[in-house]
Amino acid sequence: MNEALTVADLAVHYRMRHGPPVRAVDGVSFTVAASETLGLVGESGCGKSSVSNAVVGLVHATRGSIRIAGAEVAGADRRTLFRIRAQAQMVFQDPATSLNPRMTVGSAVGEPLAVRRVARGRALRERVADLLTEVGLRPEHAARYPHQFSGGQRQRIVIARALALRPALLVCDEPVSALDVSVRAQILNLLVDLQRAHRMACLFVSHDLAVVRHVCDRVAVMYLGHLAELAPRDALFAAPRHPYTRALLASVPEPDPVVQRNRPRVPLSGEIPSPANPPSGCRFHTRCPIARELCKREVPEWRPVGDSMVACHFAA
Amino acid sequence: MTPALAVEGLTLAIGDSTVVEDVGFRLAPGEVLALVGESGCGKSLTAQAIMHLLPRAVRQLCGRVSLAGEVISDYPERRMRQLRGRKLAMIFQEPQAALDALATIGAQVAETTGRPLRRARADVRSLLADVGISDPARRIDQYPFELSGGMCQRAMIASALIGHPVVLIADEPTTALDVTIQAQILELLRRLVADRGTAILLITHDMGVVADIADRVAVMYAGRIAETGTAEAIFAAPRHPYTALLLAALPRLSHAPKSRLAVIEGRVPTPAEFGAGCRFADRCPLADAHCVAQQPPLRDMGDGHRSACWHAERVSA
Repeated sequence: MNEALTVADLAVHYRMRHGPPVRAVDGVSFTVAASETLGLVGESGCGKSSVSNAVVGLVHATRGSIRIAGAEVAGADRRTLFRIRAQAQMVFQDPATSLNPRMTVGSAVGEPLAVRRVARGRALRERVADLLTEVGLRPEHAARYPHQFSGGQRQRIVIARALALRPALLVCDEPVSALDVSVRAQILNLLVDLQRAHRMACLFVSHDLAVVRHVCDRVAVMYLGHLAELAPRDALFAAPRHPYTRALLASVPEPDPVVQRNRPRVPLSGEIPSPANPPSGCRFHTRCPIARELCKREVPEWRPVGDSMVACHFAA
Repeated sequence: MTPALAVEGLTLAIGDSTVVEDVGFRLAPGEVLALVGESGCGKSLTAQAIMHLLPRAVRQLCGRVSLAGEVISDYPERRMRQLRGRKLAMIFQEPQAALDALATIGAQVAETTGRPLRRARADVRSLLADVGISDPARRIDQYPFELSGGMCQRAMIASALIGHPVVLIADEPTTALDVTIQAQILELLRRLVADRGTAILLITHDMGVVADIADRVAVMYAGRIAETGTAEAIFAAPRHPYTALLLAALPRLSHAPKSRLAVIEGRVPTPAEFGAGCRFADRCPLADAHCVAQQPPLRDMGDGHRSACWHAERVSA
């Protein structure tokens, strides 16, 4: 078993007080191999955070299977979930709200080890010191409180806590989106170093394509609860096969005025439709520049094209 | 030519700490000037000072602001009220938070005209159509919660435009939006400059947005302007080490993946820590004793490119 994470036909539906359920995730399948980083990108409301929350068991899967290092998360009882969660740790977007302000950094980072009785006393303190050093902080920082640190340092603390149990899978949900550019670079460098040092699998959720390209090996593009395309990084960025991927790439402004002003502009018209009432057929057809009658009627098959997997009737 | 907006020597303080110091720039009609920098550099306070919308704790110690040749920095609130939303308009980062949740889109757009919506209805509807709001006849009577973030931003732009502003201050106008919607809004702003000759002061931290739309750029660091010049010059040949490092810290679609990104060591000093020298000195690879001792002035490097660095000639991109 070489996959750290296998997601098969995952659906996450949220029941509403009024109206039909919101089908945030509706039949998504992918794998993340050990030591691989898979990027999951898409715009707000596409369901990417619902996928990552389902993977760590924070929301229930309505349908489908999620296997972490071989163990099934979907439908697992509390004891099983507790065991599996040691293998899947999460880093959230906002480090300010991910840490308990009344807990010292040392007890926050050591908590997973203490809760699971992996280490205690001096051994615990030494492990915490090692973890802090590993993420670029100093052992003496253990005695301080989160408010004494900058945003970037706090995200380092959160990462140290996530690494404490040496998980098979790290789930990062927009880990650098709340950080300033110069700090973001530090955290991205750290994440790339950790990937190399630990051969850890990572599911990296982000709306920022430049960031995803920087840290990921493969990239999955989501649109309105479905995967549009999944491809090796270089293939996806050099030759996107789904019209949504192409539009998304064309929308990211390149920080170079000479390049940016000579790029063809393909602004996507319209907005993401509501996931409570998604369009028929291909969910992208209402905004797609190449949509035809067929796209309104039939859901495109998820099929291989070259090195990529694509859900488009006309991808070649 | 009279600049649309001119700011000179703007200095702001909170208590005893100077948070913005000697900030100045000019904005020509139909020009887009981006004020860029990281959180806390003073870019939003600068915008608020121009609008006379500073938080109570912030005092303006000195500085002169003129709008189309007229000094407005000493205007009393009564006269500012006549200016805001007319010759001088502003749009904000979170459109849904900036709009009044209890008023319809149409009523809010009409409000600055001083006419009730029933009399301004035709104007408002054509303006909503103009900023790309689909089905304006229906949207005009809807409330902000019924519109998406992108549509609310368009509505806010419409309410800023109805007074035919000379200057539009846009504070992170696309930061809360998705990239495909951001591309639409940037296209709209570009059209606005071309069709109406509106000058835009764009406050942003996103270098991609700057590259897309700005004619000129002023980079701020710790309350001062570090460097200013045309967008082409700033990106191709930055003359301040902070700008150079900031650009090198960006992951780009043209870089090798997983390569090392440039890092700016340390952190931005707090106003209490500002010394006599350059505020970037303790993080700067080029800093020497002179930099620590004396604040570098903004020097002209040719072609209107100015840098506040003693070693501007030695900065490499």
